[in-house]
Amino acid sequence: MSVDSTETFRGLPVSHTDFTSYTEIYEHYRRLDADREAARFQFNDTTERGFFMLQRYDDVQRGFQQHATWTTAVRSALNPGIGEPLLPQDLNGSAHQKLRKILNQFFSPVAIRRMEPQARARCIELIEELRPAGRCDFVQEFAIRFPTDLFLSILGLPTSDGEKFVVWSEEFFAAMLSGDMSTATVAKKNIMDYFTEAVNERRAHPGDPDVDMVSRLVQADIDGEALSHDDILTILLTLMLAGLDTTRSALGYIFTHLAQHPEDRQRLIDEPEMVPKAMEEFLRLYPLVFQAGREVQEDGEFDGLQLAKGDVVWIGIAQANRDPRKYDDPDTFDMDRHGASTHLAFGGGPHRCLGMHLARMGIKVVLEEWHPRIPDYRISDGVELTERGGQLTLPTLPLEWEA
Amino acid sequence: MFISIDAEKCMGHGRCYSVAPDLLSDDDEGFVAERGRCWQVPDEQLDLAYEAADACPESAIALLETAPADA
Ligand code: HEM
Ligand code: SF4
Repeated sequence: MSVDSTETFRGLPVSHTDFTSYTEIYEHYRRLDADREAARFQFNDTTERGFFMLQRYDDVQRGFQQHATWTTAVRSALNPGIGEPLLPQDLNGSAHQKLRKILNQFFSPVAIRRMEPQARARCIELIEELRPAGRCDFVQEFAIRFPTDLFLSILGLPTSDGEKFVVWSEEFFAAMLSGDMSTATVAKKNIMDYFTEAVNERRAHPGDPDVDMVSRLVQADIDGEALSHDDILTILLTLMLAGLDTTRSALGYIFTHLAQHPEDRQRLIDEPEMVPKAMEEFLRLYPLVFQAGREVQEDGEFDGLQLAKGDVVWIGIAQANRDPRKYDDPDTFDMDRHGASTHLAFGGGPHRCLGMHLARMGIKVVLEEWHPRIPDYRISDGVELTERGGQLTLPTLPLEWEA
Repeated sequence: MFISIDAEKCMGHGRCYSVAPDLLSDDDEGFVAERGRCWQVPDEQLDLAYEAADACPESAIALLETAPADA
């Protein structure tokens, strides 16, 4: 469970740290910090293929820039199996760039700003539904619902489908994680049927391709060729897989922090203009995608680290965000921190998160609309919070307030 | 002082134009519209230029004392 200084692999210290289990909340950050401080580069042998760890801010930032020779043939160092096909993730080089160009336009700050009024109205509705009860499971009753509605509205699909959609996507996530393939297959079929219907409907009745993403995907072409029906479905499934659990998780960590730090909560109420800065600091301090994986395509060297074709590299996002070489007092929340937005919670390089501006808008709207309505809340007594490893998320966050 | 934005490194995180909207702007894909350019920053915008450079997660923005030879 730690770095063994006597054991070496290709001359590097070997880490046995497990990053995939359920633990008490924040335990993963402790493990990640400890590994980063044990050695600049190390080899972790807890998976079948093992992985070479980049952990300091400068190394992680440069790691994301090695895209010419390190590709997403491996997307997660912890799970180098192929898994679900994903787009645009699985593409690299110019094919990746061309697809990103089509998608970026829907996820740019300009496009996201257009969605904001509708998102805000929906957020208020959801909060008002919960408020009278004086309690909720924030993760299960709010933090997954709101991102689902955002996801549907960016696709140009009705948010009234959110209620049934959230059931399918939750079943799908849970079944994939537990390895229950038969449930996963059924849930995936429901989702794919729903997307197929939406795509067919837009083929028959195209909407405005500047604001309606499904219509645009149907009409888009890359080098004179239309996107295939299967690729369009893969893109839609990818957005669902990449956007829902992540935003929920970010909200879970942020509201845990605010429930336990009334002084920070009060400051956001008194100075709502601090919300964007606070949000960047939250994203820095509580990164949930704590690593990205890459596969090395040709033998080479990374600042003294020798890598061979086929090696798996771990790009340590959370370790960079909490690197004391980059940030003073890195494990502390500091709303006034200068340069917090250099964090790498959304990755970097050409695969940087497509949904970053959507996620930011969603989180900002929640912080702005929740607090005027429910200013004072606490974690229910006797609850011991846990987190899921692999990609961090809180299974539950019971909150209470005076209704 | 000159500000230079590396078009290869800029990945459209949008931090620079968020902190310095009076100096930089965004294009319809979310990249900084001025990427690939190098120009002299007027003194009254120097603080903004530093803010923008300090906000970029790709270290794509450099502030230079003198104009680079190829600019
Ligand atoms: C707080 C919330 C989120 C976090 C922390 C997050 C984090 C990340 C990270 C770290 C990556 C890079 C992975 C890599 O380099 O291998 C990524 C990629 C991606 N994210 Fe997000 N994400 C979030 C929300 C979203 C949302 C809301 C969407 C869309 C609806 C989304 C869609 C994507 C896609 C499509 C990619 C792949 C981009 C590519 O390979 O070109 N993400 N995300
Ligand atoms: S912050 Fe950096 S990467 Fe993002 S748009 Fe500005 S220059 Fe480009």
